[in-house]
Amino acid sequence: MADYKFFKNIPGTANAGVIYKTKKWIPLDPDNTDYQDYLEWVDAGNTTEAAD
Amino acid sequence: MSEIKVNSIKGTGASSAAITVHTSDGTATGKFTNIPGRNLVINGAMQVAQYGTSSTTSSSYTCDRFHLTYSGQDEAPTFSQADVTSGGAYDAGFRKCLKVVNGNQTSGAGASDIIQIRYRIEQQDLAQSGWNYTSASSYITLSFWIKSSVGQAFTGSFFTNDGTAKAYKFSTPYLSANTWTKVTKTIPGHADLTINTGNGIGITLFLFPFIGTTWTSSDSTTETWVSNAGTNHANTNTTTWWTTNDATYELTGVQIEVGDVATDFEHRSYGDELARCQRYYEALYMNAGTAMWISWASGSSQKMEYSFKVTKRAVPTSQLEGNASWSGATPLSFHSTNIAGFHHANTAYSLSDSNGDLCYSFSAEL
Repeated sequence: MADYKFFKNIPGTANAGVIYKTKKWIPLDPDNTDYQDYLEWVDAGNTTEAAD
Repeated sequence: MSEIKVNSIKGTGASSAAITVHTSDGTATGKFTNIPGRNLVINGAMQVAQYGTSSTTSSSYTCDRFHLTYSGQDEAPTFSQADVTSGGAYDAGFRKCLKVVNGNQTSGAGASDIIQIRYRIEQQDLAQSGWNYTSASSYITLSFWIKSSVGQAFTGSFFTNDGTAKAYKFSTPYLSANTWTKVTKTIPGHADLTINTGNGIGITLFLFPFIGTTWTSSDSTTETWVSNAGTNHANTNTTTWWTTNDATYELTGVQIEVGDVATDFEHRSYGDELARCQRYYEALYMNAGTAMWISWASGSSQKMEYSFKVTKRAVPTSQLEGNASWSGATPLSFHSTNIAGFHHANTAYSLSDSNGDLCYSFSAEL
């Protein structure tokens, strides 16, 4: 299981954010420092688990 | 009717004028010690501890807004919100402080060992503070109260983020052991400084109970703006505190203000400081054995909303805290900067916690 997993918006049409280790719900906001950490994790070559 | 014509008013022992009178336009500027709103630091008196009053975790908070990190330890330090019970800080009106208790660092001081206290001012707050940060004759002044169980000097620095990032290192005077001491540093602007007007990092203040040589450089570049190279986090730092088991480092009264004088600390009410902190972090507490946030049906789905007490700096991260848990189902969590929404397609849910403590949080920290 990857550290990060996408979750979708209510209609289920697009990703709304990522969940970190099943605990932190992180929005796709470039000003959010957890999201900035996530982008660094992606840049390091990691892959995010798809949403349910 | 009489009239006094002067250019300035200065104390008999002062080196600069307290009030400067303009020669022709009928105005004056002054260095007053009680102007409200001058402290750019939130929770400088360490009154607010929404995260909890004690932590042994690196990259954590106890007192709001003051981020705590360590690495290279043999035994973890303990961070806490502690009482101020006597001494100069007590007499100056402080009753709370951020306290670091060292672990037992049996392998001595390694090059990459560190305990770091970090405070960040938002870009727009600094850019619009009145500090002409590109002028070497315009200043901000840092002041804080510090007490250590070990007699020595400590180090710190400022780092900027925008444009050509710069660093400004400083050291405290030698501190007598177990004695509250007020430290002041006056920092000039610099032509290379850039502070944007967004909601990102304007400037970072670092204070180090200990920092290894990986991040330090010669004291000859102290108190001047230099490149933000990794070694410019601090001046060279004695290892005494780090190699003393259970050594303590206490901090309160942190103030950063525009001007070249450290005025008295701007004491603010708990409620005022809490509201300021909540721009960056909002904690929800629950009584033991209870539930809250019970969802309501909207068609076949279950929804819930929570309006933040204070609009957040950015769209926050949310998370369960401690032993809180969702009952029924785990909802999806969607936020903006001023409201949180929760949704589950078909199952009712609520938040429960067996302990009366922190159960959920929203973080938009810098």
